[in-house]
Formats: sequence, structure tokens, C-alpha cells
Amino acid sequence: MNFGLFAASTNDIHISIAAEPVFYIGGFPITNGLLTGIAGSFLAVLILWFVANRVKRGKYNRFVGLVQWVFEGLLKQIDDVIPDKKLARKITPLAVTIFFVVLINYWLSVLPGLDSIKWNDVPLIRSVTADLNFTLGLAVITIVTVQIYAVKYLGSMGNAKRYLKNPFKDPIGAFEGFLELIGEFSRGTALALRLFGNAFAGEVLLIIIAVLTSYFATVVLPFFMVFELFIGFIQAYVFFILTLIFTSLAVSHHGPDHSDHSPAVSSRKKAAVKG
Amino acid sequence: MNFLTTLANAGEATAEPAQEGIFSALGIDLQLLIVQIVAFLILVWLLGKFVYPLLMKSVDERQKNIEEAAKAAKQAQESAAESEAETAELLATARKEAAEIVATAKTEAADIASASEEKARTSAEKIVADAHAQVAKDIEKARRELHDETLELIALATEKIVRKKLDKKADEALIVEALKEAK
Repeated sequence: MNFGLFAASTNDIHISIAAEPVFYIGGFPITNGLLTGIAGSFLAVLILWFVANRVKRGKYNRFVGLVQWVFEGLLKQIDDVIPDKKLARKITPLAVTIFFVVLINYWLSVLPGLDSIKWNDVPLIRSVTADLNFTLGLAVITIVTVQIYAVKYLGSMGNAKRYLKNPFKDPIGAFEGFLELIGEFSRGTALALRLFGNAFAGEVLLIIIAVLTSYFATVVLPFFMVFELFIGFIQAYVFFILTLIFTSLAVSHHGPDHSDHSPAVSSRKKAAVKG
Repeated sequence: MNFLTTLANAGEATAEPAQEGIFSALGIDLQLLIVQIVAFLILVWLLGKFVYPLLMKSVDERQKNIEEAAKAAKQAQESAAESEAETAELLATARKEAAEIVATAKTEAADIASASEEKARTSAEKIVADAHAQVAKDIEKARRELHDETLELIALATEKIVRKKLDKKADEALIVEALKEAK
């Protein structure tokens, strides 16, 4: 199960690529990633619920203002990337939830006790973003949602035509379609692995720095923690914006006879996807 | 160092789990995957149903307020520009009217001055004419008096010359005759 499990006897480093089961409920493994994920998601709901209620009652403070400012920024981004206002509003819950849940869960990895608080010899705290099940799940949700909207906007046949073209009539187009099909899988995989890789590497980095710097960790670690907070924000934003770009690309996929989207915007989006 | 050697030996530890399959090696568990997908979808639904509408409403209201404020500002700007144009127009009209009034006043003043001048000239001419008439009258009067006096003097002189006293009627006839002859 554990790919890279190793432990140093003196420093007691415990690193595992997979999230480790802390206990089982009826044979179902409750992993440390899942536990932290539940806590992180609960925290995200709590924060958003609190802010929404404060906003509803018109009671603002700096925290409420900050979260609302972020929310407004995300909405603006959604409107900028997705030209169709209706679709933009439909995709908003998914995109915004991805941003906040990924952000908060990623930030949980800087909590003290990352590798030291244990239950049955398993570290209790492990950011759910460093659990491939979660990142893969998010990627699956994103790709499936994109496909659902593509079918809604282009129709089943229209969407299928993006991938399947007659190789005898249009061999280049058929090859492009094939590449597009591979592209869908690679996008999903990249989404999952990018977030997982960053989060996992971040946690490993924090653990290793803590071990290597020993008592100086109290001085050195905060710098790396701040760096991790920054990377967490970047990763949450990247996942959020890629969800929007994939959706936008899927619904604005037209043949050569349609020219209602500016080439500049399309090329920018493609460049962003490649980036 | 112990930790580093352990890290180097990690490859050996990976050999066994890799045989179980790449998914299990990476910790991908189908049960966990499905549970997390469902949990996340429920989370999205909950937030999308109960939380985001409140935030979106607030954002929309704020956007609406900003748009309304911008609209009001634009309207105010337009009305200010309109007022400015009206003021400018009023000022231009007032200036024009003032100029007209001044021009009229100047014309009237010129007319009045000209009329006064004319009146004065007429009056002066009249005075001169009256004076002339008076002078003429005086001259005529003087001439008549001189004529009468001359006649008397001539009569006296003639009386003295002819030593006879003619009656007045014969005297005058004689004088007139003498004068005619003299002419």
C-alpha cells in the first residue's frame, strides 16, 4: 500500500505517498487525509456560512470583508473567463467550492503537529490535498462537469464530433480529435497530480526541514510555512481557473464556420491551459 | 544521515507495493475515491443552495449600487453640462441684450443730441432771423423817420427859400414833384 514508506529511527520521520488508515468503520478505511479533509471542509463551510450570514445581516468586519472580497474576485474571474453569464452562474458553486476547499485544506498542512500527532502510530494530520483520492476525485468531478456542459451546449453529437471525425474525409481533423480525447484524460490527470504533487511535496518539505534544522526549526520553519501558504493559494487558484478554462473551451468549441469568439481570447485560453 | 540512507533505500521498499498495481501504490482506493467525490458533490450542493446565493446577492446588489451610482454620477454630469450650457446660453443672451441695450442707448443718445443740436440750431436761426427782422424793421422805421424828417427839413428849407408859406397839401405836392425831378 505504502509506496515510499520509510522511517528514521532517531528522528522518527514517517512519510507515505498514500493517506494512511487511522481506523476502520465496517471495513471502510478512515484515513488521516479523510479526517483532515472532513475537518477542512467543515471549516470551509463554517467560514462561508458565517460570512454569508454576516453579509445577509449587513454586519461587516475585516474578516467578512476579506472573504467577500475574495468571493467577488472569484466571481469576476468566472465572468471574465466564461462569456455566457448563465453558464458562469451555473459553474460558480463548483468552481468557488473547489477554490475554498482546496485553499483551506492545503493550508491545514502548515498546522503544527503535522507528523508528530499520531493515533495507532499513524499521523493524524495530513492535508486531504496530499491524498490522491481527493485530488483525483476533484479532477473527475471537473472533467465530468465539463463534459456535461459540453453536451448541454453542443449536443451529444456535437460534443462527440469534437473527438470523433471521419478520417477519410478529414484525416488531420480526425487526428486532432484523437489528440483532443487524449488531452481530456491528460488534463484530468494533470489536475489531480499537480495539486497532489504540490501538497505532498509541501508536507514532505515541512517535515524534512523540521528534522534537518532540529531546534532551529522554530526559526526556519515559519518561512517555509509562509511559502506553503502562498503555494496553497496558487494551487487553489490554478485548480479553480483551470476548471473555468476547461468549461469555457468545451462550450465554445466550434467548427471553422463559427467565428463568434475572438481568436485572441481562444489563444489566450489555450496558452493558459498549456501553462 | 540515517534518514538520508533510509531515503536511498526507499526504492527497495517500493518494489513490493509496485507489484500490487500503480493505483494501490499511489494510495488510490476506489471506495475512498467514490466517498470523497460524493462528499464533495454534497458540499458543492449545500454551499450552492444555502451559502453562495447570499454572497452572490450581496455582490449583485453592490454591483447594482455601483452601476446606479455610476449612472447617477453620469446623469449629474450630464445635467451639470446641460446647466453649464444653459448658463452659457443665458450669459450669451444677456450679453447680446446688454449690447443691444447699449447700442440702442447710444443711438437714442445720438438722436437726442442730434435733436437738441437741431433744436438749438433752429432756435439760434430763429433768433438770428428775428434779430434780422427787427433790424430790418428798425432800419425801415429809421428810414421812414429820416424820410419824414427830410421832408420836413426840405419843407422848411423850401419855405425859407420861397418865403412863402404854402399850405401843407400844396407843399407836399411840390416836394414830391421836386424829388421826382431830382431823381
